[in-house]
Amino acid sequence: MREQSPQPNRAFSARTQGHFRWAQISTLIRTFSCFFKPKITCKVLTHKIDIMTQSELAQELKKCVKCGACMAVCPIYRQTGREEMVARGKLNLIEIISRNQELPDAWIEAVDNCLLCCSCEENCSKGVKITEIIAAARIRQTAAQGLNPLKKGAFALLKNRILSIARFIKLGSLLQWLLWRRLPRHSGLIRRLPLPGTDEKTVIPILPRRNLDDILKKRKPDPDLPPVLFFPGCATRYLQPQMGLDLIYVLEKLGFNAVVPAEFKCCGMVTWGAGDAVSNLKLKASNLKVFAANAAIKTVVTGCASCGHALKEYDNLPPESEILDISEFLFRHREKLEKLLKGRQSRKKITYHDPCHLRKGQGITKEPRWLLKLIAGENFVEMSHPERCCGAGGTFGLTHKELSRKILKEKTDAADATGAEIVTSGCPGCILQLTEGAVVADSKWLTKHPLSLLAGLLRSRN
Amino acid sequence: MTELSSILRREMALKLLKSGFIPEQVVATEAALSCYGYDATRQQTEPLLALLPDNEKQLKTILKIAGEKSLKIFPRGAGSGMSGGSIPAEDGIIVSLTRMKQILEIDEDNMIATVEPGVITGELQEAVSRRGLFYPPDPASLAFSTIGGNVTENAGGPRAVKYGVTGNFVMGLEAYLVNGEKIKCGNKCIKSVSGYDLTSLLVGSEGTLAIISKILLKLLPAPETVKTSLLAFSSMTAAAQAVNAMFKQQINPSTIEFLDQHSINAVRPALPFTLPKAADTVLLVEIDGPEATVKTQAEKLNRLFQDEALLIIDAENETEREKLWQARRKLSPAIANIAPHKINEDIAVPLAAIPEIISRLESLSKEIDLPIVCFGHAGDGNIHVNVMLDKNDPSQAIRGHKAIDRIFTLTLELGGTLSGEHGIGNTKSAYFNKEWTPATIATMQALKKAFDPGNRLNPGKIFPLK
Repeated sequence: MREQSPQPNRAFSARTQGHFRWAQISTLIRTFSCFFKPKITCKVLTHKIDIMTQSELAQELKKCVKCGACMAVCPIYRQTGREEMVARGKLNLIEIISRNQELPDAWIEAVDNCLLCCSCEENCSKGVKITEIIAAARIRQTAAQGLNPLKKGAFALLKNRILSIARFIKLGSLLQWLLWRRLPRHSGLIRRLPLPGTDEKTVIPILPRRNLDDILKKRKPDPDLPPVLFFPGCATRYLQPQMGLDLIYVLEKLGFNAVVPAEFKCCGMVTWGAGDAVSNLKLKASNLKVFAANAAIKTVVTGCASCGHALKEYDNLPPESEILDISEFLFRHREKLEKLLKGRQSRKKITYHDPCHLRKGQGITKEPRWLLKLIAGENFVEMSHPERCCGAGGTFGLTHKELSRKILKEKTDAADATGAEIVTSGCPGCILQLTEGAVVADSKWLTKHPLSLLAGLLRSRN
Repeated sequence: MTELSSILRREMALKLLKSGFIPEQVVATEAALSCYGYDATRQQTEPLLALLPDNEKQLKTILKIAGEKSLKIFPRGAGSGMSGGSIPAEDGIIVSLTRMKQILEIDEDNMIATVEPGVITGELQEAVSRRGLFYPPDPASLAFSTIGGNVTENAGGPRAVKYGVTGNFVMGLEAYLVNGEKIKCGNKCIKSVSGYDLTSLLVGSEGTLAIISKILLKLLPAPETVKTSLLAFSSMTAAAQAVNAMFKQQINPSTIEFLDQHSINAVRPALPFTLPKAADTVLLVEIDGPEATVKTQAEKLNRLFQDEALLIIDAENETEREKLWQARRKLSPAIANIAPHKINEDIAVPLAAIPEIISRLESLSKEIDLPIVCFGHAGDGNIHVNVMLDKNDPSQAIRGHKAIDRIFTLTLELGGTLSGEHGIGNTKSAYFNKEWTPATIATMQALKKAFDPGNRLNPGKIFPLK
């Protein structure tokens, strides 16, 4: 995975706390200027997001020997069979279009058609940092063309305190029933009438009236328990607060007090993927302030694969603080958990889809499987190619619906073949995508986070 | 790009779109075309057009339209070749067969699979194994290379020791001549001697004779189990004798890979197990077949070499097996640490000549003062010779070039061949007349002319440029 930056810029972390805005603006000017003024070779940004300098980029690109191993794993190439759509072709395009040239359509299409699933990176014997290169290319594209207005609006909500994502969703929760209706079996909504950008199988999450923060206001945590910092992530916080409550409940059962600062913002993954370096930097800086304020709590857990992946890439986290996916955390406390469960097991047949940002982003494969075996014992079955991307890829499913559905079809076929009643995945994005997959394929299985199953078992009396 | 060719490009693209191609199948912009001008040899060219037919009818249309303009045609699979076989070395169009990827039939009664050329070899193996069948050829690129590419380059792989190479599994073919006519050769019969064996001729023809559109492949019953062992020896001679002894003692391994001393030293730090310091050659041996046979043969292997071998590790399960294979899989990135560049050739020699060629390469390495790292297939004499160098240093580049010339001379002196499994392509064509007499080459060229009188199909490959 990505290496730590050799010289983290200490000055920056000091600046983030004091005069953040100025530091940020000056950094960004340098960021974008590197695309236009070839002579600037400064280390442009201090965070890991961050794009590489021109010389770093050139060096990274040179590492690719065009062996073609990325073709074996790229979900986009698998569907399209087009060389421009696979990592080695994309890198080739990024390499040949020089800094000063206008971006040709083929370049934009290639850079656009990436799920950032890291499959190629995992399979690359040369260790080329492909996703970072794609992110850098997207930043270049955004700098040249501006951001898609929809994304721009959405990212503004993530950053803005007054017109916030929380308020936006609350408004949405009131209005959603006009246009959408509840799915009969799954947790999700399906449209009532033709809406632009959707079809009759498009599934969107139910927008809850009360988000996680609202619910937690009434919570009385036990201050005597050792604290664990919980980073819920936007999906858990605003769309599936129950997931967050489940996680808090499990932590409590294990004897930990989940501290959930309401000041946490989006982890930044979605802005990074969209090439919006400005928003990414702002979000990270906000989060780093929260981490700094809670520096006494060393363990940070999250139930979202993408958030975990993003947070693990943060520079300037407080010293000794450790980001853990919830499955990692539970694995560390496995003895206690096994005792708590007292042999209680789910009788349902369960299978598992590896979220890309958990498996390829963080190298976590063993812990979720241990957890599922604990939950379901013999009833846990592997699907074929659990590592293959489900095609969600952040907003990719919305922007490239047809291609995303094709990728999803293979995943739902694999899930169907297991005969499982529940398909689990440790990522809210994957869960939503898989739910849509079940609706499209008319499959019987439900989608769940392994943690929700665990919380269910712990709550059940036996 | 000249103006003339850009007009031609536009005209061709329009014609194809009118005849039913969708935009995704016609790559006509300069930037995107650059992605169809390379392969794993790192050559970089740009074709006039890249076309991705979905079926035979479209392939025929392409040939017809290209014929009207007398355009040169370069067939391409995954573009993962190691000898430049698919490189559009001259102005011409790429015909990429990656979209013709249907497994048309798996005939379990006759144990034959009928496939289109764009099927990924690994996916075919997966599909047949679900029915208890087995397609043995296993080139290192099998997870992404196409079966069509494997057939036209006659790709090998570690399992060649026991099962042979791709060509040994091709029962029949359908292919399009450059004039758009279809030829059929071979059939599902195990015994079939009616007329010239055009199937064998097309296998390994590197896309210079015809474009293959359908392939009949022989399948075997899947072996019950596989057992992997790693053996370390103190010298290449001892290892070679061990290989010989295995065959004489009726041990029938499916794979015998070897690593020479330089490879061992390079990969040692990356391994999850320790290799003795004195290890000069490592053999990775796999035995497959029925449970009981594999067990007795593996025991025999252990008994046979318990004194001579410095170390024997048997893999007891899949995880351990994967650990042993790390020695081979981690090798390529590991040797990249020796020098920034490598020139790699895949010579093959008769089995008995392996120790001789390794020792001669060792002295060549000293003479030209560049490391030469060898590894490969000890069971079939196919050796991957890697001359390690820094191409930016002109002196090293010259010496590297000289080394390749000498390596080929040595190989041919020992009764070997320029290429065991990568093909000649355009990277080795300059050495082709070292291996074959003028009359032999003239015969091959006459055959080429019979198939492709205008020299429009994959020109510039195999034969040396005049």
